[in-house]
Amino acid sequence: MLKLQGEDEAAQLAPRRARVPVPRPTAPDVSPSSARLGLACLLLLLLLTLPARVDTSWWYIGALGARVICDNIPGLVSRQRQLCQRYPDIMRSVGEGAREWIRECQHQFRHHRWNCTTLDRDHTVFGRAMLRSSREAAFVYAISSAGVVHAITRACSQGELSVCSCDPYTRGRHHDQRGDFDWGGCSDNIHYGVRFAKAFVDAKEKRLKDARALMNLHNNRCGRTAVRRFLKLECKCHGVSGSCTLRTCWRALSDFRRTGDYLRRRYDGAVQVTATQDGANFTAARQGYRHATRTDLVYFDNSPDYCVLDKAAGSLGTAGRVCSKTSKGTDGCEIMCCGRGYDTTRVTRVTQCECKFHWCCAVRCKECRNTVDVHTCKAPKKAEWLDQT
Amino acid sequence: MGVGRSARGRGGAASGVLLALAAALLAAGSASEYDYVSFQSDIGSYQSGRFYTKPPQCVDIPVDLRLCHNVGYKKMVLPNLLEHETMAEVKQQASSWVPLLNKNCHMGTQVFLCSLFAPVCLDRPIYPCRWLCEAVRDSCEPVMQFFGFYWPEMLKCDKFPEGDVCIAMTPPNTTEASKPQGTTVCPPCDNELKSEAIIEHLCASEFALRMKIKEVKKENGDKKIVPKKKKPLKLGPIKKKELKRLVLFLKNGADCPCHQLDNLSHNFLIMGRKVKSQYLLTAIHKWDKKNKEFKNFMKRMKNHECPTFQSVFK
Repeated sequence: MLKLQGEDEAAQLAPRRARVPVPRPTAPDVSPSSARLGLACLLLLLLLTLPARVDTSWWYIGALGARVICDNIPGLVSRQRQLCQRYPDIMRSVGEGAREWIRECQHQFRHHRWNCTTLDRDHTVFGRAMLRSSREAAFVYAISSAGVVHAITRACSQGELSVCSCDPYTRGRHHDQRGDFDWGGCSDNIHYGVRFAKAFVDAKEKRLKDARALMNLHNNRCGRTAVRRFLKLECKCHGVSGSCTLRTCWRALSDFRRTGDYLRRRYDGAVQVTATQDGANFTAARQGYRHATRTDLVYFDNSPDYCVLDKAAGSLGTAGRVCSKTSKGTDGCEIMCCGRGYDTTRVTRVTQCECKFHWCCAVRCKECRNTVDVHTCKAPKKAEWLDQT
Repeated sequence: MGVGRSARGRGGAASGVLLALAAALLAAGSASEYDYVSFQSDIGSYQSGRFYTKPPQCVDIPVDLRLCHNVGYKKMVLPNLLEHETMAEVKQQASSWVPLLNKNCHMGTQVFLCSLFAPVCLDRPIYPCRWLCEAVRDSCEPVMQFFGFYWPEMLKCDKFPEGDVCIAMTPPNTTEASKPQGTTVCPPCDNELKSEAIIEHLCASEFALRMKIKEVKKENGDKKIVPKKKKPLKLGPIKKKELKRLVLFLKNGADCPCHQLDNLSHNFLIMGRKVKSQYLLTAIHKWDKKNKEFKNFMKRMKNHECPTFQSVFK
């Protein structure tokens, strides 16, 4: 607790200064083939994990917009800033993908006290909740890393990225239990997605040699691996009259929901660990606890109960949350409201019902009115006093 | 160029740099959050397979999509509900269903097939009613079996809605007027003599021959047709050495009438496909140069290009 206070004060004492990009003279236009060759060289360097040169390649001088966005993101380490500026289209996919994994996180925890709420206009997105090395932090790091893999792989297949496309190695004839098929279509290039996600997301943790960085690296890897588990074989039967005598198949990502469900199960079975003395590995937190495997999420600290607003602990509390009067699970009012009780509001909802298709062509519905009781958690009685703590 | 800025310890800005990126980009798009969510949900409900493929578009039903161009509406959603992503793919896959449509095995066949191949443009996908699928399947699969086909996986009726909103032309409780027929004609012999229909059949068949018939006899419930002279128009799976000893079968056709075979002195246009080791007859026409429609067919056949899946899929 005192340590967190100290960190907060340190942050206040050292205000952030935004970097102003220095304008540079415009370079001559790059021909498309030359730019593509340059990109290929960059890709080769990236894939071989050779140390990249610090200076930005000259054909990106004109990408001021991308640089501005990169420079405006606080906390990027130099390696990440370099990748950001070099691959602005990949960054765009990563940003769009962020909506998806945040929505998935909120779906997975919609019935829990901590429900993956994001904070508006806060560059940390989740506030201080991620500072604690908790089980929730483990989940967020894993699903965000998975989200990057998913977003990049999808963008590759949709042809949105110039540096990658469909998986070029999935070609030829093959067979499964249903018989022979040809590889065709567009197999998702997950290799590229995994590689880029690892390079970008892990860059910061690799510069910090502490236990928390080790935890993040582990959980990030769990997230990346999770996406690969749900690569599925999809086929089209295009014989005459839809018969499967002729089939063309490809590998495709599954819906991100499946990855979310999987990581949620990993969260439920997450393993509490401590770092070993040399800081290179984990050991069980207590005698008799089981050891973490490569597929487990790991965390160090126990979570708060998330019952009341506690900014230092990253807890928003459950006041005002909707709960279920009849449920005995975590969404039930007794658990969700931490025993504080709940308020009941009667709400009338108008929905479309009894929809029918009319030839040709319209769907017509009736309007139905349903009156339901909505239960919300009461606020703590001594809220003001607690806030002052 | 100096060294990049490095984060110091675990300050407020230290955690979740990826989250910071997310925040920066989310902030820019916050104004259109609602629209984005709505659009995303639309995509989600339309795509059952590869959920992030091209967004659905409402396009005109082309005249040469024979299966559906007169179905009763003029625009369709692409990709369709069978995950065909391009119009070329839709045409290629739909072409083999046109001959079945011409068999008139059920009055709802076209509505059923087109609700999947060329789904009507609405704000959400509407699937055919399960009862319609079952009615069409029960009436049409016996006809399909004459051609060696079975009801395909992609049209399994279990996947279609029962109580939910669904597509059907007539109410489910309407008693269908049965067609009184003395004897059922062999489906491969029950063909309309129109050049368009013959072309469709040609594309849907694996091979086509001009030939004379030596004899017709019964064998294991089939009609066995022994050719005399044969000239290939489309070889398909037939190898040239097999052509000499070729024998054709009219599947399950031992006892059904086929008026074309009443007089064997003519030349015939015969189309078929190979099922296991048998060559099945799928359509037979008298080679009648004097017939206007047949002459049209011969003219069109020379430069007509059947859609092929290989060209579609790559």
